[in-house]
Amino acid sequence: MRFLLKRLGFYAVAFLVAATFNFMIPRMLPGNPADIMLANSGGMIAPEAREALMATFGFIDAPLHEQYFSYLGSIFTWDFGLSIKFYPMPVTDVLMQALPWTLFLTGAALLISFSVGTLLGILAAWRRGQLTDAIASPTALALQSVPSVVVALCGLYFLSVRNRVFPTSYAFDPKLDPAFSWEFFSSVAYHGFLPVVTLSVVLVGGYLITMRNNMIGQLGEDYLAMAEAKGLSDARVRYAYAARNALLPSVTALALSFGALFGGSLITEVVFNYPGVGNLLYLGIVGRDFPLIQGQLLIMTLAMLLANLAVDLAYVFLDPRLKRA
Amino acid sequence: MKFTATAGLLASVALWTTAVQAEETVVSALPEQVTAWVKNFNPFNQTTAAPSVMHFMYEPLIIFNALDGGKPIYRLATAFEYSDDLSTITVTLRDGVEWSDGEAFSADDVVNSFELALNNVALDSVGMSNMLSSVEKIDDQTVQFNLSTPSSQAMYQIVRVPIVPEHIWSDIADPVTFTNPDPVGSGPLTEIRRFTPQEYIQCRNDNYWDAESLKVDCMRFPQIANNDQALAAAANGELDWMGSFLPDIENTFVAKDPEHHRYWLPGGSLVAFYMNFEATDAGDSAAFNNVDFRRAVSMSFDREAMVEIAGYGYPTINQYPSGLGRAFHSWNNPEVEDKFGGFTQYDVEGARALLAEAGFEDTDGDGFVETPAGEQIDIEVIVPNGWTDWVNSSQIAVEGLNAAGIKANVSTPESAIWTEKLIKGDYDMAINSVRVGATPFNQYLDSLHEINQAKSRFAASRYYNEELSGLLDAFTQTSDTEKQMAIMADVQKIVGEEMPLAYVFNNPRWYQYNTKRFIGFFSAENPVANPVAHKTNPARLMHLLALRPVE
Repeated sequence: MRFLLKRLGFYAVAFLVAATFNFMIPRMLPGNPADIMLANSGGMIAPEAREALMATFGFIDAPLHEQYFSYLGSIFTWDFGLSIKFYPMPVTDVLMQALPWTLFLTGAALLISFSVGTLLGILAAWRRGQLTDAIASPTALALQSVPSVVVALCGLYFLSVRNRVFPTSYAFDPKLDPAFSWEFFSSVAYHGFLPVVTLSVVLVGGYLITMRNNMIGQLGEDYLAMAEAKGLSDARVRYAYAARNALLPSVTALALSFGALFGGSLITEVVFNYPGVGNLLYLGIVGRDFPLIQGQLLIMTLAMLLANLAVDLAYVFLDPRLKRA
Repeated sequence: MKFTATAGLLASVALWTTAVQAEETVVSALPEQVTAWVKNFNPFNQTTAAPSVMHFMYEPLIIFNALDGGKPIYRLATAFEYSDDLSTITVTLRDGVEWSDGEAFSADDVVNSFELALNNVALDSVGMSNMLSSVEKIDDQTVQFNLSTPSSQAMYQIVRVPIVPEHIWSDIADPVTFTNPDPVGSGPLTEIRRFTPQEYIQCRNDNYWDAESLKVDCMRFPQIANNDQALAAAANGELDWMGSFLPDIENTFVAKDPEHHRYWLPGGSLVAFYMNFEATDAGDSAAFNNVDFRRAVSMSFDREAMVEIAGYGYPTINQYPSGLGRAFHSWNNPEVEDKFGGFTQYDVEGARALLAEAGFEDTDGDGFVETPAGEQIDIEVIVPNGWTDWVNSSQIAVEGLNAAGIKANVSTPESAIWTEKLIKGDYDMAINSVRVGATPFNQYLDSLHEINQAKSRFAASRYYNEELSGLLDAFTQTSDTEKQMAIMADVQKIVGEEMPLAYVFNNPRWYQYNTKRFIGFFSAENPVANPVAHKTNPARLMHLLALRPVE
């Protein structure tokens, strides 16, 4: 119990610190939204209208601390104000429109890369030094070190631009309306295929290597020799005995990356014009849309902290020593 | 599995397209690149309002056709007349025009629209409050604009204000934040058929006054976020009317369907290298304030390389010492070209000689010249990050400067920072553009008039010349063409002699089209008006009305 309370206290402090950074960072960027809009409007806006525009977008020249407290208040009311880039849409609406697509994109990529990476890791460890290992492990390492922007751009260029196998943008065909229909879901799958695959390709290596190393650690253990001596099948020993124990660190890593999931994958979303929150964050930064940046960063912070909290809770159950601590 | 899903989808899309084409004609257009459409049809909002609101939903009073010497094309107005002292303008309105909800259009609507702009600074994006003292209704068909300062140029600005129906807008409590969800307009396309963040469709106004000119039923606006996606959609033949930077256009776009994929890139905004007359670095500022130094800078620029290499040949070279531009050649003062034309020719040796003659010498032996007073010159040329054609032009400029013995380098801040630096005067040299109007007047007013200095990025050079400003003021105080020509000749003389800005080329106006489904597009062979689909071009209305579906 004390452990839990201590953790909760830690998270409260961490949240406040993160929220403060979320407030400060956008304001430290040079440039401000009104000037960017003036520039983007191609000189259509008279300089005199600038001040009025600023006021319209809620840029009251209040002292910084007043802005800060009204921002802190907005966290609890979940009202981040109106977006500038998508004026006059409220930030919450803008984010909620994008969040499902990010959860789908990143979630699918995480699950695929985790399953494939872990499975390959098991095989590579089991047959270490053999052909499977000799091919899979270096390939995974190589792919992992390729920046996702390169993979995404290559995928886009070869499969969407040169050969028009996949679309270059959108989450589904813009002519369709979201509906519970085969047509809509197939369109979502078709548009999501390339972003999900390019994202998975980059992530798979990490899971493979982690799993392979954990497996190798387990393989020397006596209980495995025992299982084999009992005459259990190879597959049974590999998956039910060795892999099961080796999986724990990988699961922790997966749980933590679910927190990052809410941040979206900025690069992949931008490259494929995918309407997720990563894309929004990029736009918010380029357009100095402070309310949007703040809202998005706050959601990311909350998600990260909650994922950490979940892992902490899981450990309490997995490790009895923590209950007493 | 994947493949069948794809095939099924393609088949259904094909079916959908044929089904629609049988019923009505839809022009797919790309007026601007965005990441999501926002449902905002407030025409006074120049930032996030949908790009089809101006001109297509709200018909302008008059369109001044810059490609036809600024001649008026009358739309909601049928005539306008300046008073002799240029202090008032009387505008006659078209009879029999109806709003899309069937109510009659009248002078009250016009007066109300201008009062909205005058009473709400945030709606006054054109700057009417500086220009108008009041707007009066004379009778149902006549409106009088009272100018705060007499000006023969006021009408060009007045027509940029959208005209909205009084019977709707007078009931709106806060017209600034109003998103106008059910638009009632006077233009050709007022009905929003479908609206999603990824696509929206805007269809015909059944009460449109000029319905017989309108041959298309709807316009479809797909959301496209960047040049790559625009290129993919264009090469696929998905867009009928668009304007994007397409690299290597002959191969990437035209070659995909040589019969239908076309483009025309008429000269647009004027691009120049700005020198900051109040640069913080003493040496740089002393150099920029020396006319011989500015001339040497201009001579060190290889404009042809900027156009052909950096710009893929798309821009129009500008070697007028006054920066006049080919589009305004009818205004040209040949005397200026005779006298100062040499300073806009690429001539590194000439530049070196001119610098030496003016006392710029390398006194500290670092290979680059110092000012006659011995101060270091070290120029940073700023250009927005990612604006590749401009970045490459700046590289070429810096190579030329270095070859002429002037120390310079390129820096690529984000576009927002670049804008801010220009406005605040926190830069040495910058590549920059100024928009062009119906006459050469606007480009000089926006970039060189004293009253504008340091207020916008167009007037970032901090160059103050009373005589020049006086001439520009005199231009607005006469409507006599002969007098205007004479004034403009003097303006060119000052600008050509002083060279406050080093003009290099005119940006292309981006315009590509596809004649597979529609014909009648404006082109180099059919240059009726500015064909650009962007919301800043009122003449796009004439372009829409010129389109005809292929039989």
